[in-house]
Amino acid sequence: MTYVVTENCIKCKFMDCVEVCPVDCFYVGENMLVIHPDECIDCGVCEPECPAEAIVPDSDDHAAAWIERNRSFATQWPNITRKGEPPADADDWKDKPDKAALFSPEPGG
Amino acid sequence: MTLEQAARAPDLVAENGIRRLLELFYDRVRRDAQLGPVFARAVGTTDAEWTPHLARLTDFWSSVMLRSGRYHGDPFSAHLRLPDLEASMFDRWLALFGESCADVLEPDVADAFRERAGRIASSLRMGLFERLPGNAARTAPP
Repeated sequence: MTYVVTENCIKCKFMDCVEVCPVDCFYVGENMLVIHPDECIDCGVCEPECPAEAIVPDSDDHAAAWIERNRSFATQWPNITRKGEPPADADDWKDKPDKAALFSPEPGG
Repeated sequence: MTLEQAARAPDLVAENGIRRLLELFYDRVRRDAQLGPVFARAVGTTDAEWTPHLARLTDFWSSVMLRSGRYHGDPFSAHLRLPDLEASMFDRWLALFGESCADVLEPDVADAFRERAGRIASSLRMGLFERLPGNAARTAPP
């Protein structure tokens, strides 16, 4: 089992998760993060850290649509180990529904 | 005690609990017939070798249980380098860890540590013995 970042992260990208992750398994895209499923040790530390409640276990119903996307983009985006500056309008996008269509495949920095 | 120390008192108590737990647990691990030799080869047998290892593991468990963010590392690769590691050793590790938790921690805290350890062990075991191509032989019966 592993944890998965889901669409709640899109355009929020608070990045609190990367500070607490003991194994540095987060990867950063232009407008969201993903978890590398082979590096996650399932410790669950990140889940309650996320203000957007975007991180769920892969057994969660909300994870299904995001498992493959986490795996795929974790190998394409840069690793992130320190929290950066969240988007200026991150709070405005928190709890907004239907953000999946806004997903960007571009790498972040 | 300063105000800042007072504010952090629960965490300090918890840190001390982690330290006591790990000292007891690894004392048992080092004397265990199945796990002892593996750890002796990987970490060593002297206090000089074990002191930094215990400090590192205290950081790990502090990060996992208290979300302190102190540990950043790659435990998966650390275990991958152990040639004499066997999948069944995770069960022994968890049994000793569970006993040590029960001896040192309050019951509900002990449950939380055991639950977290069980999930991490499953994850590492799956990664080391089921997911890696070429590792199938390590789980196959002799």
